[in-house]
Amino acid sequence: MEETNEPICVGIDLGTSRSSISASNGERHVVDSYVGWPVDMVARKLVKKPVLVGRDALDNRPMLDLRRPLERGIVKEGSEKDQEAVQELLRHLISLAGLKQKGKNKSKVRAVVGVPAEAFRVSRQNLRSTIEGIADSVMMVSEPFAVAYGLEALLHALVIDIGAGTADFCVMQGRYPTEEDQRTLPNAGDSIDEQLMKLIREKHPDAQFSIHMLREWKEKKSFVGEPRERVTVTVPVKGKATEIDISQEMRTACESILPPVCETMTTLLMKVEPEFQDKVRNNIILAGGTSLIAGLPEAITKALQELGGGRATVVTDPVFAGSDGSLAIARDATTSDWDKLSL
Amino acid sequence: MLLKDEMSSIEQTKSRLMRGVVQDNVNVLRNVRVARVKRRRTLHWRWMLTGVVVATTVYATVFLSLTPDSNAPAVSAAPAARDASVPETEIALSTPLPIDRTAIPLSIKTIVIDAGHGGEPGTTAESGITEKEITLDLALRLRRLLKNAPFKVLLTRETDRAMSLEKRVGFANENGADLFLSIHANWMEPHSIRALETYYVGPTDDPAALKLVSRENKGSGYSLSDYKKILEKIYVDARRDESRTLAKSMQAQLFRALREKNPALENRGIKTAPFVVLIGTQMPAILVEVACLSNEDEADLLTKEDYRENIAVALARGIRSYANTLKASDRKGS
Repeated sequence: MEETNEPICVGIDLGTSRSSISASNGERHVVDSYVGWPVDMVARKLVKKPVLVGRDALDNRPMLDLRRPLERGIVKEGSEKDQEAVQELLRHLISLAGLKQKGKNKSKVRAVVGVPAEAFRVSRQNLRSTIEGIADSVMMVSEPFAVAYGLEALLHALVIDIGAGTADFCVMQGRYPTEEDQRTLPNAGDSIDEQLMKLIREKHPDAQFSIHMLREWKEKKSFVGEPRERVTVTVPVKGKATEIDISQEMRTACESILPPVCETMTTLLMKVEPEFQDKVRNNIILAGGTSLIAGLPEAITKALQELGGGRATVVTDPVFAGSDGSLAIARDATTSDWDKLSL
Repeated sequence: MLLKDEMSSIEQTKSRLMRGVVQDNVNVLRNVRVARVKRRRTLHWRWMLTGVVVATTVYATVFLSLTPDSNAPAVSAAPAARDASVPETEIALSTPLPIDRTAIPLSIKTIVIDAGHGGEPGTTAESGITEKEITLDLALRLRRLLKNAPFKVLLTRETDRAMSLEKRVGFANENGADLFLSIHANWMEPHSIRALETYYVGPTDDPAALKLVSRENKGSGYSLSDYKKILEKIYVDARRDESRTLAKSMQAQLFRALREKNPALENRGIKTAPFVVLIGTQMPAILVEVACLSNEDEADLLTKEDYRENIAVALARGIRSYANTLKASDRKGS
């Protein structure tokens, strides 16, 4: 743990489903983006904490007022409780990184936070005020840009960061990306969940399952293209544990994001100078939790064939690519840069 | 040597990118907008932006001048710059200063009622009843109910005919409407939902609202990402406050009138969303989703004339109630 007042740089990827932190002291952590408060005195006595974050909150959800405070990568608007939940989530991430938030040895925190590529300015301002009191200085960058910066994919690259709430696109052309270089789509992990829920309910109307169970199935067994194995899960059907086959539903739901993702990719590729389009097509970088769907890079590579060929690859560490990239930006910023952006 | 050159090039690029990151964040902090939106080729896009810019300029010149100590930067007519580090200053976006209505007496002379869809059916209930039929029926009833009102009532369509969203917007603007009401019926999952919603212009992150927007904006020629680019400008649009007041008035009247015959009806309140008809119109504008055709019972209610009449009466009351608030503030001002 740091015992100094020297500034600590952190990169934070605030995700709708998961949030990660990478710190300059070498700490890296990821948590589920859930925050919960005990609903009453009994619950408080049982959970023994005033507030629970991440997996802890999910596991104790029957006793909690559970919040998933981020929607499409930004703080849900109009809810003070959700804003408070984001603050708890940020405090939790900072404490996981071993940084002191109180007392004489309080760490001086310089944070770079990833936001969706097309986040509204008011949303960014809202997030900035949420972080007040948690970090000393903050910058916000678009998530795919952070990924590109961390990987040093600064020229002739297209980053597609597919999370739970949004799929964010950013073409890197050696300059700071403008709105024209970026796109945000609402078709991402959560839209797959919605689709999967609908399809399974249609096929197995008596099966009982929750959105949390469904998300776990998806994380373990999602795929696009030809199935490599049957996807079966065990759920209560009229009270009896029953194995059901959800292979086709899983495939259909996961493939539902392919058309909008490929269409947006094509739109952005068309905006690149013609002589460089080939280079960018061969440097499509996928990041974010949803990029871990089996067969996704192959499916996008296949779609690129229609444009003259290309290649999509998944980053080595999709979960931390955003926070690592944000940390790289935080480290490269000078003290005078940070001074301009202190809270 | 080559490796050293490459590394030096990467460092230079990184340094350039860092300047962009810092400047972008400083702009957010100072609430300064960087001009980046490329000019579109389509005439209509320019027309829409012109509408928004006109509204912005009017807001800036009329309303900000009323504020004695405004720190907002002046509106600039500078051309869009490619270099992200060159800011084009605009008025403060996040917190437009509230305007006392009495400062500018307003009254309603013309209203435009937009019966959603037409030609294409919109949503269709299991029973076969279509959104276009319901919305037209309600619009015609509403016109009859407002026959003796002290304002002119115009309909975007009076028959089952296709009409693009742009034409509807153009119709309202060209006729100098003071109020725009677009009538729609919703489709929701699960089908057990019966919900009443009223929208006014603004951003949304609600997935259900985004889905609805995509559906209602279908065929407009723009994508959702295009709308997002002009939405920030909507924050400075003075008519947003008026639209919100109108939406509140309408939602309250509708829920009060319908819950007796439709007790399972859920009051989902007023919301913001980027509907084309709300973005493009230059007057207070709302879009009401009067029912859910996905719910069989509610679709069945809509087949009954008295229920449709109830909706039309509530819509008329919503308009009158809003018009009365304008009169009241006019009196307060005088």
